[in-house]
Amino acid sequence: MEELLEEVVPSEDLQRFERKYHRELESDGWIRIETKFEYAFCLVRSRYTNDVKRGLMLFENLAHEHPDGRRDYIYHLAFGNARLKNYTEGLKYCRAFLEIESNHQMNLLEAYMRKQSDREIVKAMALAGGTVLFMALGLLGMGLAMVRK
Amino acid sequence: MADRAIKLLVIGESGVGKSSLIRRFVENKFDENHDVTIGMDFKSKVMNVDGIDYKVALWDTAGAERFRSLTPSFYRKALGAILVYDITNRDTLVKLEAWLAELDSYSDNPNIAIIVVGNKIDQDRVVDRQEGRNFARKHRALFIETSARCDQFVSDVFKEIVEKIVSSEYFDNGQMNPNGMEIGSNDSDLDGNASTCYC
Repeated sequence: MEELLEEVVPSEDLQRFERKYHRELESDGWIRIETKFEYAFCLVRSRYTNDVKRGLMLFENLAHEHPDGRRDYIYHLAFGNARLKNYTEGLKYCRAFLEIESNHQMNLLEAYMRKQSDREIVKAMALAGGTVLFMALGLLGMGLAMVRK
Repeated sequence: MADRAIKLLVIGESGVGKSSLIRRFVENKFDENHDVTIGMDFKSKVMNVDGIDYKVALWDTAGAERFRSLTPSFYRKALGAILVYDITNRDTLVKLEAWLAELDSYSDNPNIAIIVVGNKIDQDRVVDRQEGRNFARKHRALFIETSARCDQFVSDVFKEIVEKIVSSEYFDNGQMNPNGMEIGSNDSDLDGNASTCYC
């Protein structure tokens, strides 16, 4: 799963679909579903956070606009959030998807995000625990200092 | 140890069993449901050839039409391609011509090793074995027939293509570039006879 999430879209691909997107917007005033999809697909695989966020917005928009392609969009909403380490949000999309359809890719993505978010909780707890310990030691030190006085 | 990476692509029409072959090979599992692959998927496995470990990175591409324009970047740096068709559906073999054309135009490796795989031999055959073999021979590719469901000859697919790649004169076995760039396989001596016979 890490490899899949770390794979970055080549910038020439992103630029190519970006140009196509803007060309359609300028010449027709609207964008074909496929063009929007291609652009969003590249954006969520960009190395830049803002691109990924923009990709997520496009996928959200697509999910409303084009229900037939919804499974692709919901998968990518989960995928993009996983890349941003927004695990709570990402897991919501995983659950929404898996309620409708069992899917191996989605199961793996969900398992990965769950593991990562658990790990973050443990880390946060360890950090909080560490802080408490540090403060306790500090108090103890102060106490000792006072006793010595 | 397993830092010698080999990138393999799996391509072909939707529903021929690309993901099933990979899953059978990597996890030894088979799912009767057909989960249509979204975009692309990735799995890896360490394979040992002649005492050397290779990390084989398997990129599973979606066969669905809407992803066609999006997968070219995944062709880059691939050392081998596994082209899959379904022996119960002739159209999937015919369409491999188009997949080969995509491979030709997007791959940055002129010596990419290719294996043609006729999957679903556990089902009623429509495409004759010889047809698949002729197609492979025409494109100087290896050939094999498999069943991902019954686990027949699945590991041979990966074994044959990896052996082909590592034995190639373009593959620097001593000092391999971990990115796998500029390395390919030579298939000048390749023809359909190299296929593994199952019957």
